[in-house]
Amino acid sequence: MTENPSRGEINPAIGTMLRSARDFLAHEHSLFRSLELQPILIGKGKAEFSMALPASFADADGDVHGGLYTIIIDSIFGLCVFTALEEIKPIATINLRTDYIGAIRPGDRAVCAADCEAIRGDVAYVSGRLTAESDGRLLATGAGAFMVGTKGPIKGMRL
Amino acid sequence: MTDKLERVREFASHAPLAAWLGFEALAGDPIAYKLTFNETHIGNPAIRALHGGVIAAFLELAMQSDLYARVGKRVVTANIAVDYLASSRPEDMTGRVKVLREGRRIAFMEATGWQSGETRLVAVARACFTLG
Repeated sequence: MTENPSRGEINPAIGTMLRSARDFLAHEHSLFRSLELQPILIGKGKAEFSMALPASFADADGDVHGGLYTIIIDSIFGLCVFTALEEIKPIATINLRTDYIGAIRPGDRAVCAADCEAIRGDVAYVSGRLTAESDGRLLATGAGAFMVGTKGPIKGMRL
Repeated sequence: MTDKLERVREFASHAPLAAWLGFEALAGDPIAYKLTFNETHIGNPAIRALHGGVIAAFLELAMQSDLYARVGKRVVTANIAVDYLASSRPEDMTGRVKVLREGRRIAFMEATGWQSGETRLVAVARACFTLG
């Protein structure tokens, strides 16, 4: 049975968890604090955030290294899976593919938009894109699969 | 081999990301790559695992550095796909890199990420690079 993760509202318990996670990520998690994550849209099966691109993630040419694209995409895709769940469960990335399309300099900001396409059994499928905040230029696209309900501890979230 | 190691280190020294990752190239044949664990690499503090994106960034930089040292040309990542085979631990990771195919314009690489003294395979990445 394939569920449509974009139908209906975010489960209230998931919403509460996402709000507390947002506060934690913004203030106490060093990696996410440095990305200055700002929510643009959070819906059931949808997540869109803007973020800073710090100079510490530059490549040898002075552009943002693709590794940061993947860090951002993995993070926002994971968050997007949570919005689609009916109950709080731990999740883990199974695999993720990122296509690098455009370059951007550190100091600019980017927007990552993710859609949870489907949840089939214990696997959630997410796709999305990373764009430059200033002009909407495409930087990268991604497609990932996430395990829902891992054997790990249930508290917290995989971000 | 020493020349290649020097070229890898020279390439990595120009990328601030390498410093953030605690990236090192270790002498040997083949060269091994190291992610030096740091608290900022943690994804989920509840399970204290490395962030999946951090693992991907480390494996990409290992492949990129290795390829640059090999071909001596500018190397640009076209895409990367990572499989996460096992949960990671809050410790260093060793990267092993293999060239699958090196053409004139593109190269295909594979990298494996290991923990626990290279007994635990945590992630496998494949990437395509353009050469120019």
